[in-house]
Amino acid sequence: MSMLHPEFTLHDLLANALERDPGRVAIVDGRAEYTYEDLERASNSLGAALLESGVKKGDRVGVYLEKSWEAIVAMLAASRTGAAYVNINPLFKPPQVSYLVQDCDVRVMIGDSARLEDLEPGTISGTALYKGERPRSEAAGRFEDLAEMLGGGAADAPRIESQVSETDLATILYTSGSTGMPKGVATSQRNIVVGAQIVSTYLENTAEDRILSALPLHFDAGMSQFTTSLRVGATLVLQRSRLPGDLTKALRRHAITGFTGVPPLWALLLRSARSLQEQPLEDLRYIANTGGRIPQANLDELRQLLEPAGTKIYLMYGLTEAFRSTYLPPEEIWRSSSERGNCIGKAIPNTEIVVVNAAGEECAPGEVGELVHRGPTVAMGYWGNEEATRKAYRPNPLAAPELLDVERVVYSGDLAKRDEDGFLYHLGRNDGMIKSQGYRLSPEEVEDLLIGSGLVHEACAFGVPDPEIGHLVMAVVSLRNGEVPAEKAVEKIREHVIKNGPPYMVPKEIIVENELPKTGSGKIDRKGISNAYASG
Amino acid sequence: MAVSTENAAAEIQGWLKENVTGGREVSPEEPLIENGVLTSLQTVELVTFLEERFDILVEDEEFDEENFGSVEAIASLVASKTA
Repeated sequence: MSMLHPEFTLHDLLANALERDPGRVAIVDGRAEYTYEDLERASNSLGAALLESGVKKGDRVGVYLEKSWEAIVAMLAASRTGAAYVNINPLFKPPQVSYLVQDCDVRVMIGDSARLEDLEPGTISGTALYKGERPRSEAAGRFEDLAEMLGGGAADAPRIESQVSETDLATILYTSGSTGMPKGVATSQRNIVVGAQIVSTYLENTAEDRILSALPLHFDAGMSQFTTSLRVGATLVLQRSRLPGDLTKALRRHAITGFTGVPPLWALLLRSARSLQEQPLEDLRYIANTGGRIPQANLDELRQLLEPAGTKIYLMYGLTEAFRSTYLPPEEIWRSSSERGNCIGKAIPNTEIVVVNAAGEECAPGEVGELVHRGPTVAMGYWGNEEATRKAYRPNPLAAPELLDVERVVYSGDLAKRDEDGFLYHLGRNDGMIKSQGYRLSPEEVEDLLIGSGLVHEACAFGVPDPEIGHLVMAVVSLRNGEVPAEKAVEKIREHVIKNGPPYMVPKEIIVENELPKTGSGKIDRKGISNAYASG
Repeated sequence: MAVSTENAAAEIQGWLKENVTGGREVSPEEPLIENGVLTSLQTVELVTFLEERFDILVEDEEFDEENFGSVEAIASLVASKTA
């Protein structure tokens, strides 16, 4: 692969792809195909428009769009101006968007009209660039038509010349931890570029690849598919529907060579097992899983269906705080099994993964400790949250004393062990973090949403392990007053939660109790409640 | 038992209101998949509901955006299966 520009920023990756083959299709969105030349022109034009609307280097630009050509252009446009893009989960409802906009001070937002229209008045202090009809709302101070910015008057704008370096903030990835509200992982240009280098190396991506983007772009692995595709100058096919019939159709129609998914996606794909058996996917070079363990039965079935046609299966593990962490190469896939455990492989290239015990020493083989990530994808920290940053991003425990505070590593909070051959096994967590459908959730986020209904006095949310989706969200609540009958109240609470939260945050069950059990210090006894639930 | 498109649509709208939108009415033409109103897992739940409610079977090949892209589309799928 000829390298014409050094790779320092996301838009350097575009510059290389453009020089190698400007006419190659970069993005497929529905029936439309866009070349690298189109991507260059549109991102330069939108970048110029962002500068025009007052965006300065370091500012945060929100992207609240369903996965689309425009969402791809927005990331590159922001990067070119030196601003940071913040991809917002399109499943978010107005309360989550408001929280995020305030948390990282998003002043300019690019969004779908219907989504912008739903936001509370004044959510965005600056300009909102809308896709679609002009929103009838006061969500933003000013509205501009995104279509005009992409192809209109600014199309022939001179190339943006801004000073962006690899140490600049490129994006903020919102994710949740075991406690509190979601945190923004501040990710540098270097993190993004090195991440793309690393992932495209081990997945052996080339310009000939046609990659299916079935994961959302606000999710690190979803974004990584775009950045790896961009780095090698491949074609990225944007896939919004994840219904089984559409997945197989897209894989065939676009002769997809690789794609990444989370466990629930494989369950959907497996619904088309018969079709895959009758007509194998000859072009599919690899699939890669992330975001949790695939149930063993599903993994076995995937192997049986896909491996004979030459498809390799990669099992990956990553945490947003360090972008991507480990992968299990396809030829070692037998190491992950019901008997051996959830093998997540070894560190990705250019990275070191250690398992450390409570004393901060490296664990012996078989000894359980915390997974710690060291390397160039370690992000800058949590946006505006020094306390949480210090807790997760700590000095390297294995560094020479002279270098002790020079480098920060990420403490994942995940329990792991290493076997005699150096392979890592993931053993879950010791805290209350919920992982629902590939999304991390803290119990407080769910409880906050429940209490927001106005009917709940006290709430306790927790996750119950489920092989297909990770955790089922459960809630035990006490009601604010006895006036509304419990059954009616649960209906109302459920309605509130569905209306104001993303689907993966909605409790599977809401159980009403007169009072919630407390710990010695008077806090709600979450552990006790979830244990009691687990034991029936 | 034959189910009319109108009856099927009303049932689907009721289910969406209760399980997806939190009380908001969904019009027959509103795009459900393209705009991300309905996630894939919710669609799986909807299919389970439809299969039980109308005693039908949705084949894997039919389980796509063409048939599930709007209330209108889902209703005509149900109607054609019960006819």
